[in-house]
Amino acid sequence: MNFYSFVEGPLLWTAFLVFIIGCVMRAVTFYTESRTKDKVIHEQFKWGYVLSTIFRWLLPLNVTVRKNPVYSVLTYTFHICLLAVPIFLAGHISLWEESVFAVSWPALPQNVADWMTLAFLGIAVFLLLRRIFSADIRLISTFSDYFLLVVTALPFLTGYFATHGTLNHVAFLGDNMMLFHMLSGELMLILIPFTKLSHIILFFFSRASAAVEFGRRGYSI
Amino acid sequence: MSGEIIPRTIMEFLTPRLGARLKTWLSICAHCGMCADTCHFYLAHNRDPKMIPSYKIRFINDIIKKYGGVDREYLQEIYKTVYYECNMCRRCTLYCPFGIDIAMMISLLRAMLLSQGMAPQGLLAAINNYKESGNQMNISDEEWVETVQWIEEEMSEELVGLTVPIDKHGAKIMYTVNAREPKFYPQDMMEVAKIFYVAGEDYTYCSQPGWDDTNLAMFAGDVQTARTIVENVFKRADELGVEKVAVTECGHAFRAVKYEAPGWLGYTPKQEVVHSVELFHDYIRDGRIKLRHKIKEPTTVQDPCNVVRNGGLMDKNRRLAEMLSEDFRPMKLQGNYSYCCGGGGGAMPMGGEMKKYRLQSGKIKAEQIRETGAKIIFVPCHNCIDQIRDLNKEYDLGVKAIHFKEAIAELMVIPEHMKPKEQAEDDE
Repeated sequence: MNFYSFVEGPLLWTAFLVFIIGCVMRAVTFYTESRTKDKVIHEQFKWGYVLSTIFRWLLPLNVTVRKNPVYSVLTYTFHICLLAVPIFLAGHISLWEESVFAVSWPALPQNVADWMTLAFLGIAVFLLLRRIFSADIRLISTFSDYFLLVVTALPFLTGYFATHGTLNHVAFLGDNMMLFHMLSGELMLILIPFTKLSHIILFFFSRASAAVEFGRRGYSI
Repeated sequence: MSGEIIPRTIMEFLTPRLGARLKTWLSICAHCGMCADTCHFYLAHNRDPKMIPSYKIRFINDIIKKYGGVDREYLQEIYKTVYYECNMCRRCTLYCPFGIDIAMMISLLRAMLLSQGMAPQGLLAAINNYKESGNQMNISDEEWVETVQWIEEEMSEELVGLTVPIDKHGAKIMYTVNAREPKFYPQDMMEVAKIFYVAGEDYTYCSQPGWDDTNLAMFAGDVQTARTIVENVFKRADELGVEKVAVTECGHAFRAVKYEAPGWLGYTPKQEVVHSVELFHDYIRDGRIKLRHKIKEPTTVQDPCNVVRNGGLMDKNRRLAEMLSEDFRPMKLQGNYSYCCGGGGGAMPMGGEMKKYRLQSGKIKAEQIRETGAKIIFVPCHNCIDQIRDLNKEYDLGVKAIHFKEAIAELMVIPEHMKPKEQAEDDE
């Protein structure tokens, strides 16, 4: 097995398993640990407050969107592209079709996926510049904030290059772009459960906790 | 405070206290900065990045990374941040996309400092008093009972038949006060005696520890003392067989007795806990108290963090103010999303060391008060009222801060049969 087939085979499987099992573990750990150390959220739990807070914050229907409209438009777009492009890209779906799962679903038109990728990358650059140049954000940023932003953007950048052959004339990069694409995607998946990217799952638990805490005061946040 | 820090003791304190929520928040905070301009410290310090809420809790991850290997100087830095730069008002939590509870982490850091022998003198003094006498002002049980009796004597001259019940078994409500009231502000107790009498409330004081519901131990993270205080309150309530525990116009006491007590005690007390704002609101709404007239001057109302945002009384607080006023002027931000006045989280009882910080951080609230043009501000919290009176001087707001009870006692209709003979004749 050469390196390429390792990356598109066993490593990909591993990355997906780490991602899925890792996220499930974070959720299970939260649940079990909170049963003993955060009893209040279980005792006062009410679905109404929990669902309403998740609805408000998954959709841009909350106070912070009103406070920071521009930033909110950008970050909501960022997240939509981040989820939609990899899942609904025709090139990815055809891989699922060929896989042992043999599943399929409708794809995004290619040009839409392209624009979403560019929008995503543009916003990623904005977020990076904001971290570097805003005195506020620079102070609170840690190494991992910069690192993870790059890790998250790389699969998109390399994916775009690979599909459009942008760097094909640059010998080493051009030849291995698809390899870099897979590696960066796998790196991101593996890092999700162990870094702040775990908010993909913990967002729901964190918001629910806050909703219960204020819900027991009689209002919804 | 001097002495070497033993890393093991720091970790032994922190580790068991890092629950699922705290760990999650420490790992998912995206450092997006959305909390920055929600903080009155940040705004009052000309948007100083060091005042960003998420920055103030950086110490926890840092200590964990160092396995507790920090020195006294480092703890001093934490002390400055958690005491001088945060009122634990929780406004930032409402704006955080993840709902991260910064105040809870500040509270943990304060508790950790206390475990290393560091806490503000003002809070430590109060904690010692609680331990000695069960109340923050170290008033003896005899003095307390004498004060209540004296208030009854005074007030029964004003209103015929007025009594101030103490240890009345089977009363509906056990009313608890802030120890400042018997010590420095007996008029608060006098006003409330009148209000309860006119409203026909079936209430009682208790003669033993539990009558002071304040909980300054909570601000220093002294859970053991905090628990003892609320334990006393409910012990007395059980003994007297009351249905409800009512809390004076004090914010943190209400929060401690109503929302923190179940966690500290490990069970939910059977008595319902109500704040004076609720009682007064319902008296007027239900016609148990009628007003001769409303206040004519422009008024506004303070939303104490622990009565409104953390007490859930946003609507009743505002409606009570409206019911008492002809010209009620809400602040730009009224209710759950209002700014802290800068006096919360122990800032007032910390005394002199905190003064310049709280006067500065109170600037945002001061501006909001000024914008209303109000001449009177209702303040249903002891800490807020002191702070707002200080802000009034510092920022020259031209406003008079009063408790609701002062206005109600002044404005309510006294039924004829309660008026003393001479006065009734004078009125005719």
